[in-house]
Amino acid sequence: MKYIKFFILFGLLASFSANALLEVNIIKSKEDSFPIVIAPFEMIGNFKEDSDIAKIIRKNLNMSGQFDAKSTNQLTTGPIDFDFYLKHKKDAIVLGKIRQISSNVNHAEIYIYDVLTQKPLYRNKIAFTNGALRKTAHALSDVIYYALLGQKGSFNTKLSFVTVNEEKNGKRKYRLVISDWDGKNQQVIIGSDDPILSPAWSADQRKIAYVSFKNNRSDVFVKYVFQNTNPIKLPKFDGIASSPTWHPDGKSLALTLSKDGNKDIYLYNFDSKKLKRLTTNIAIDTEANFSPDGKSIAFTSNRTGQVQIYIKNLKSGKISRATFEGRYNAKPVFSPDGKDLALIHRVGKDYRLALLDIASRDLTVLTQNKSDESPYFSPNGGMIIYSTNRDNKGILSIISLHNYQTVELMQKEGEVREPSWSNYSN
Amino acid sequence: MSKKILLLSSVIFLSSCATTSISELGDKFLDLINPSDAPAEVTDLSEEVFVAYDDSAGFTFEELEVLSNDELIEIAKEKGLEDLLKIDADGNLQNRDEIINALLEAEALLDNATQELQSLSNDALIERAEEKGMDSVIVSGELKTLSNDELIEIAKEKGMEDTLILDADGNLQNRDEVIKALTDNLIILDEDGNIQNKDEVIEALREGAEETKLAALLLENAGITSTLYFSYDDSEIDEVATRIIIQHANFMQSNPSFNLRLEGHADERGTREYNLALGENRALNVKEVLGLYNLEDRIVVVSYGEEQPILTGSNEEAWEKNRRVEFSYY
Repeated sequence: MKYIKFFILFGLLASFSANALLEVNIIKSKEDSFPIVIAPFEMIGNFKEDSDIAKIIRKNLNMSGQFDAKSTNQLTTGPIDFDFYLKHKKDAIVLGKIRQISSNVNHAEIYIYDVLTQKPLYRNKIAFTNGALRKTAHALSDVIYYALLGQKGSFNTKLSFVTVNEEKNGKRKYRLVISDWDGKNQQVIIGSDDPILSPAWSADQRKIAYVSFKNNRSDVFVKYVFQNTNPIKLPKFDGIASSPTWHPDGKSLALTLSKDGNKDIYLYNFDSKKLKRLTTNIAIDTEANFSPDGKSIAFTSNRTGQVQIYIKNLKSGKISRATFEGRYNAKPVFSPDGKDLALIHRVGKDYRLALLDIASRDLTVLTQNKSDESPYFSPNGGMIIYSTNRDNKGILSIISLHNYQTVELMQKEGEVREPSWSNYSN
Repeated sequence: MSKKILLLSSVIFLSSCATTSISELGDKFLDLINPSDAPAEVTDLSEEVFVAYDDSAGFTFEELEVLSNDELIEIAKEKGLEDLLKIDADGNLQNRDEIINALLEAEALLDNATQELQSLSNDALIERAEEKGMDSVIVSGELKTLSNDELIEIAKEKGMEDTLILDADGNLQNRDEVIKALTDNLIILDEDGNIQNKDEVIEALREGAEETKLAALLLENAGITSTLYFSYDDSEIDEVATRIIIQHANFMQSNPSFNLRLEGHADERGTREYNLALGENRALNVKEVLGLYNLEDRIVVVSYGEEQPILTGSNEEAWEKNRRVEFSYY
C-alpha cells in the first residue's frame, strides 16, 4: 500500500461564477462512519487564494457519510502522538504539505498513518498549478477515500443543476449551472427567461443535453460545457421533445418525442443524424435512462393506467415491468453497477426517493419528504443526489447510501432543482 | 365603459352560434361538426366606401366622431372588429357609439404593445422576433446595396422564392418588391448583430400581439373561459370541458384570422418529465375535439408540464388551478 503517484492538475482559467452560491448543510448523524483526523496542511511558500486544503478534504469526506473527519488545533510537525489519537478513538491520521515549487507550480504531499499499528499506510504527491487548489483537494479526497476504504470516491466530479430566481422586474430567471460536487466553483452555462429542464451529462463530461422552452415549446439542446459556443439544437420535431439521456458511448441520445402522435422514446444518433424508435406504446413513455452497459433502458410509462417503471432489453426488444409496489413509480436511473434503480415512489400523497433492487424487486423508500424529484447516482454509486422541497423552496439533497446521512445544498434566494452528476473528471 | 358596450354586443353574437350546438351535445359530437348557425351575413359595403387613413397613427375620439356610419363600418372591418357591428336590414349601423369605443380600445391595446416593443433592447427584440418564428439574416451594409444575385440567394435561402420574378435568363425583375418583402419578413442584422429594420420587425410583432389581445378581449367579453381544468393525472375531456371547447370552435369559425395555441399544464406532483407528457396529452385531447370542426390546421399544441403554475404552493387549491389547458390565440 505504499507508493507515490505523480500527476499534474491544471486549474481552469476562465471561470465565471453564479450570483448566488449554494450553502451546504449536513443534517443527520455520523453513525457508522470512519473516525479519522485530517490535520491542517503545512504551507511552504506564498499562497494568495483561500488555501485551507485540509478543510475542503474534511468536508468532502464528511459529506460522503463514510467518514467522521476531525481537525487538530495545531500543525503536526514533530513525531505523531499516536497514543493521543488512540485514546480519542481515531483510526487514522492524515498529514499534508503544500510546497510552492515555482511561481505557478506547487506540490501537495499527503501521508496517511494507521493509528493502531502506528505505521504509514500511504503517501502521495500531486503537482498542481495555481488555481487548481480546489481540484487538488478533491483529488486528494479521492486518494484518501481509496486508501482507507478500497473504493473509488466521487469527489473529483461535477454537478449540473438548474437555479430559478425571481428578478427585480418580477420575471423568473432560469440558469443551467455546473459546479464541483460540493456545490462550490459554480459556473453558469446557460441563462434563460424560459424554463430549463433535465440537464444530463455525457459520459465524457464534455456535453450536457437539456430541455429548453426558449422557443415557447420544449426542445432538446446540447451544450459543449467547456466551450464558448452556442448550444446545438436537435432537429425540429413536431410535438414535444424532452427527457434527453445519453447512451454511454456518447454518440447517441435517447429522448422523448411526440411527433408520431403519442409520447415514445427514440434514439438520436449524432453521426448518422438518424432516429430510431425504441418504444411504440400508445401510452406515455418517457424518462429513459441507459443501463451502464448501454444494453437496456429503464423508463416511465402509464401503459397499464398506472405510472410504473419498465426495462427494455435493446437487443431482444423485450420489455419487462420493474416496479410492482404502489401506484406511482417514475424517473428511474440506473446505479453505476447496473443492479439498482433510484426512482420516485408515491407513498400516500407524498413522492419519495426510493431504491429498487432490480433482481429481487425489493423497494426501499429512502426519505420522509413530500416531493422528491430527479434522482442521480454519484459515479461510485455511494450517494444519490435529488431535488426536494424545504419550506416551500426547491433544494438539492445528497443522501449517502452507506448510512443515509443527508447533505442539503440550497440557495439563499430562489430554487435549485434538476441535479445531474458527471462521471469522474479526467 | 367601453368594455361594457363590447361585452353586450359580442355576447349576443357569440351566444347565437354556440347555444344550439350545446343543446345537441351527443356522445360522439357528430352534430357539432357543421354548426349550422353561422353568423349573419354582413352587407358588404366596401365598394361604396373607401376610407383612407394612416395605419400607423392612432385614432382619437374626435377623429372617429366626425366619420360617417359607413366609414366607421369600413374601419371596424379592417381592424378585425367586424363581429361587433350591428347592422340592420338596410345596411345602417345600429351601434355607432359602441363601435367608436371598441376602435379606441383596440387602439389602446395596440399602443401598449407598440410601446412595450419599442422599449426592448436590440437583443431582446431579436429574441422576441425569433420566438415568433421570424428568421434572421446578416447583411454587410444595407439590403439596398446588395447585388440582385445576392438578394435572390437570400430569398431562396429563407424560403421566399415566391416573391422573386425572374426573366428567362434568371435576372431579377422586381428588385424593389423583393427588398420590401425581405425587410418586412426577416430580421435584417448588420455584422455587429444590430437590427437594421427595427420598425418593420416591431410592426410584424405588433400585429401578432394585437391579435392575441383582441382575441382575449372578445372571449372575455363573451364570457368564454380560456382555461380548462383537469383531474389528477388525467387528461379526459368531460362534458363541462366539451361545452367550452365547442364555444371556442364556434369562435374560431367566426374569426378565421385567429390561430390557436393550446398550452397544456400539470400540477407539481410527480416528476417533471412525466408532467410535460401529461400536459401535452391534455392539450392534444382538446385539439382532437376541435379537429371535429376541421380546425386542426390552425392549432398548435405545446406543453409546459409543471413549469408555469398559475398558483404556487403545495396544496389542493393550487394543484386544481394548475392542471389545465389554456387557449391562446394569435
